[in-house]
Amino acid sequence: MRLFTPIACLFAGLIACPAIPLLAADSPTADQLAFFEKKVRPVLASTCYKCHSHGGEKLKANLFLDSREGMLKGGENGPAIVPGSASRSLLIKAVKWVNDDLQMPPKNKLSDSAIADFVTWVDMGAPWPKEDKVAAAPNYAADYDRIRKELWSWQPIKNTEPPAVKDAKWCKSDIDRFVLAKLDEKGMAPSAPADKLTLLRRATYDLTGLPPTPEEIDAFLRDTSADAFAKVVDRLLASPRYGERWGRHWLDVARYAESSGMTRNLIYKYAWRYRDYVIQAFNEDKPYDRFITEQLAGDLLPSRGSKDKDNLQVATGFLCVGTRDYNERKPRQFNYNVADEQIDTVGRAFLATTIACARCHDHKFDPIPTADYYSMAGIFISSQEYTGIILRRGATFNQYDEDQLVRLADYKPDPAAAKKADVTADPKDIDRAAFRNFFMRMRSSSDFAKPSTPIKPLAMGVREDSRPGNVNILNRGEIDQPGQLVKRGFLSIPAIKDPPTISSGQSGRWDLARWITKSDNPLTARVMANRIWGHLFGHAIVASVDNFGTTGEKPTHPELLDHLAAQFMHDGWSVKSLIRSIMLSSAYQQSAAFDKAKYAIDPDNHNLWRQNQRRLEAEAIRDAMLAASGKINLAPPVASIALDFPETPLGAGGGRFNFGELISNTSHRSVYLPILRNMLPEALDVFDFADNANVTGQRDVTTVAPQALYMLNNTFVIHMAQAMTDRIATARLPTDAARVEMAYKLTLGRPASSTERDRALNYIQVFLRDPKAATSRDPYTNKAAAWSSLCQALFASAEFRYLN
Amino acid sequence: MNPTTSRRQMLLSTSCGFGYLALADLLTRAYAEPNSVPPTQPSSAHTGEEHYRSPLLPKQPHFAPKAKRIIFLYMQGAPSHVDTFDYKPELAKMDGKSYAGRTLLGPQWKFNQHGKSGLWISELFSNVAQHADDLCIVNSMHTDNPAHPQATILLHTGSARFVRPSMGSWVVYGLGTQNQNLPGFITIAPGGQGGAQLYGSGFLPAAYEGTPIAGTSSNGLPNVTPAAPASVQRRQIDLVQQMNRDLLRRSGENPQIEGIIESFELGFRMQSTVPDVMDLTKESKKTHALYGIGETDTDTFGRQCLMARRFAEAGVRFIELSHGNWDQHQQLHQKHESNAKVIDKPIAGLLADLKARGMLKDTLVIWGGEFGRTPTAQSKDGRDHNNRGFSMWLAGGGIKGGLRHGATDELGTKAEVDKMHIHDLHATILSLLGLDHERLTYRYAGRDFRLTDVHGNVEKKIIA
Repeated sequence: MRLFTPIACLFAGLIACPAIPLLAADSPTADQLAFFEKKVRPVLASTCYKCHSHGGEKLKANLFLDSREGMLKGGENGPAIVPGSASRSLLIKAVKWVNDDLQMPPKNKLSDSAIADFVTWVDMGAPWPKEDKVAAAPNYAADYDRIRKELWSWQPIKNTEPPAVKDAKWCKSDIDRFVLAKLDEKGMAPSAPADKLTLLRRATYDLTGLPPTPEEIDAFLRDTSADAFAKVVDRLLASPRYGERWGRHWLDVARYAESSGMTRNLIYKYAWRYRDYVIQAFNEDKPYDRFITEQLAGDLLPSRGSKDKDNLQVATGFLCVGTRDYNERKPRQFNYNVADEQIDTVGRAFLATTIACARCHDHKFDPIPTADYYSMAGIFISSQEYTGIILRRGATFNQYDEDQLVRLADYKPDPAAAKKADVTADPKDIDRAAFRNFFMRMRSSSDFAKPSTPIKPLAMGVREDSRPGNVNILNRGEIDQPGQLVKRGFLSIPAIKDPPTISSGQSGRWDLARWITKSDNPLTARVMANRIWGHLFGHAIVASVDNFGTTGEKPTHPELLDHLAAQFMHDGWSVKSLIRSIMLSSAYQQSAAFDKAKYAIDPDNHNLWRQNQRRLEAEAIRDAMLAASGKINLAPPVASIALDFPETPLGAGGGRFNFGELISNTSHRSVYLPILRNMLPEALDVFDFADNANVTGQRDVTTVAPQALYMLNNTFVIHMAQAMTDRIATARLPTDAARVEMAYKLTLGRPASSTERDRALNYIQVFLRDPKAATSRDPYTNKAAAWSSLCQALFASAEFRYLN
Repeated sequence: MNPTTSRRQMLLSTSCGFGYLALADLLTRAYAEPNSVPPTQPSSAHTGEEHYRSPLLPKQPHFAPKAKRIIFLYMQGAPSHVDTFDYKPELAKMDGKSYAGRTLLGPQWKFNQHGKSGLWISELFSNVAQHADDLCIVNSMHTDNPAHPQATILLHTGSARFVRPSMGSWVVYGLGTQNQNLPGFITIAPGGQGGAQLYGSGFLPAAYEGTPIAGTSSNGLPNVTPAAPASVQRRQIDLVQQMNRDLLRRSGENPQIEGIIESFELGFRMQSTVPDVMDLTKESKKTHALYGIGETDTDTFGRQCLMARRFAEAGVRFIELSHGNWDQHQQLHQKHESNAKVIDKPIAGLLADLKARGMLKDTLVIWGGEFGRTPTAQSKDGRDHNNRGFSMWLAGGGIKGGLRHGATDELGTKAEVDKMHIHDLHATILSLLGLDHERLTYRYAGRDFRLTDVHGNVEKKIIA
């Protein structure tokens, strides 16, 4: 919403105007009024009222010309008329087109005679007949008190007693009581529990983003103890793969990427440290309130030793991995744009609130006055980010500068590393040259994922500005239009008692973190509990996961959401505990099976009468192919190959074409693929990867033909199918039927039915008999091709990319 | 039946047999269903109650369209308007005079009047000039920023400051596309500062993203080359589809799985359609010659123009071509001349070909850069950036031909009469397609977004 441009923004900020006493022409003569009605009013009506009247199409410049009061009060440039003095009247200057930037009407200048009439009219004192007061313009702020009281998400979290339910036996916990009560209300019953294989596959993907291994499948089937599933959940939560899965969910929210995007698209060489920090934080089950605090103010927190200190500094990378326009020439404008991006991210990530809408005008829908926005802007303007990139200096295109990264504690400058000279050639030429070298380097390397550039103790991060302070409101968001100075602070949410105050000499980031994580902040715990629920059910309780404002969705289960939020805080903000309690509920463990009658009542499953069938995310689809083929390298890679990328702008297009091919040989998990803005790896792009220009709590799910083409013809997919064939072929299985069994287990996590087995065996035979398919003279080669084709078909199947 | 029509219809429905009935059924359904206006948001996993509908199926516009598709010839780097399509006799007279601390540089090429309409066009575009009576030259364009990246992104997305969906994505979101065997939005050999953002879908679903195609080979689309002979791959797809139908049976109603089943049929057909449409050997020698294919200067761009026509004919909704670099701060003479030489004949050929096939009337062709250039000289033989006034032209698709619309001041410094901002251009383009730019909205982050944000006026004077 912040893209509202100046003129339109004004609409929002208008305050009902007090009656202004009429000046000169309080008692105009009949002749004067006749002149106005004949010569002036018709011209006003026909040429000005579209943009400058009540009931006009759109108000511009906050200026009403449909009353004398409106003209006297004026718009953003001041009063339109000075009665009695045409020469001092802005209106006259505007219609005369005196200035380049104020020419009204904008497209067609009035005739000379019409302009002369306006001059005469103003000089005679701007006579206007007495008229009833016109209605006041809309005033959003006037509604704020009411909205603050009514907006559900701004009310305190209420941990209500779970309601009574019909079938108490179904309920394993309070979560189930809330879910079942809603179903009872609608006269629906929950679904039967999912079978063990389905449940294992669901849980394994949900927690690790990987399929269960055949051994894990067998072990779970053998375990008949009552807590067999709880043991699975605990095993998966303890796996390092968990942090890679749930860390990636957070990286979506943190709009993580390793380049700046926009026009220059410069590499963030050390963004990966933040990525690794996030993964580790989830694996350690870092309390969520602490996680927030570290990301906002890690550099300010006390630390235990240099390693801890480094880690805390890296956490603040959260604030600076966003989109930046390094082509902006005005540093001050750039700083405000950065602050805006940070406010937007903080607001939506932690609070699901679109604060940044209030940059240019009071928020149209939510109770956020512009003053609140600038009270937060002061905090970020008082902080300095270090991304490794500086604004353009003169005519050079080399904007990478290691001095613009945060030095970690054990940093020792490398004397051998001579400072690189600035490059002044055409950026595109540099680009091409650098990429050519890069491709050649990559081709000769056997492990694409390992950067050849030395890794230095540097990180992206935020530090305090040397002179923290408050900032002025910027009228219409324009840096050269300062208004009132506002004290640094936070949103005016009445539920939050005794908000921290920001001491002078500090940016206030730590205080912001304290305010966000205060236990009476009604948003923070709800927002995260909702995100977690959404990842485990496919539908969040509040569907608009990043917008809890008046234009967002309302919760389907408000009491349940509050229960989860309260429990989350009670359990020390432990994400793992909340996940565990949700997964151990009957609600989570339901089957996703279709039921015609219930579907007819509730097709979108708002009432949770079943689990949802869900498509896997792009990362899980790629990782599942790597896992099935046995090629997956589960060891986290060192750093990111983004380190090897050129320091010059990735800028203009073209880079995207072969990028997928470039990285298709890496066998690390998808979370470690380099995420460059506008140059996404194909495997991720094709299956709706997160829009990394924005906080993305929930990805799109599209189904389009390029996905089918990817599964049918992409080299990576074919290589994976071939590798899986090798794996099956070398497993020393007695029969082809056993091989089909293994193929099904590896890809779909279940045995093949007899129909499926026969179909697969038949497919192999037909393939081998077809001279167009079995093209080799060598029968083993043909057999491998046939099995590879079968494995690829399994990858391509809808079941492979869906969770039941 | 008119032979061109039958050929078009054939191309529109081309398939290599297997999924044809499914497609026909799909299209029948799409046309039969009363469509919601404004276009509905596409079905996603989270709004599953309806029958699965591909987000790319044709949708009804808001009102009767004059144009069905767009070919956008983007001139990156910004051509000089006073040397091409903005006739400035006063500037010629003032050549060498001082103006605002700089020296005026008269038009470097001779302007002549063309066609019945007598439009003034410089000799740089003597071939395009032969279509003067079909052109509407807008001399009063202006934009916000004189820097290439910002202006290029504004031209393509309506917003220079934020990452927003591109014009082509909005159009396909609004109208879907006619041929389900091809992408709805294709950008041939994209260039210009802004990269993938120029054809990105922003917050719109990824299905509306433009498909970049390398402009020269016949398999410029990723993964379109079949990995196996057609019959072998078909058997593999049949196996996949058997599994998918099994899953669909087990899942009850599931639009997503129906969508996957359809995506394989469409994908399979695209494998033959895309190379087929991109195969220029199917065109006559005469046609090749018309576009300047085979001539040194015009071969590449000529091929791209012909490819654009073939895509248009096959039902692609939005096609963009780029040509550059027109950023002549120096060597204006040499470079503008060589640039024009590369594109003049191919574009004239495209217009002639579209007209001959009866397609110009519903194909909107747009030519122009991100801004214009100053009437004053820079380094003697060059011109600086000028965002305050420049020219674009439009042809076909409901545009009044033979019209010079709006004007800059007598030197070409800035637009003065009937000024047209990029937002106005966007509003007008959407209007020609039957879309109301104020109603073509997408709800994102709690707000309804538009291509034109809160701006834009439809310029009715240029609509026939």
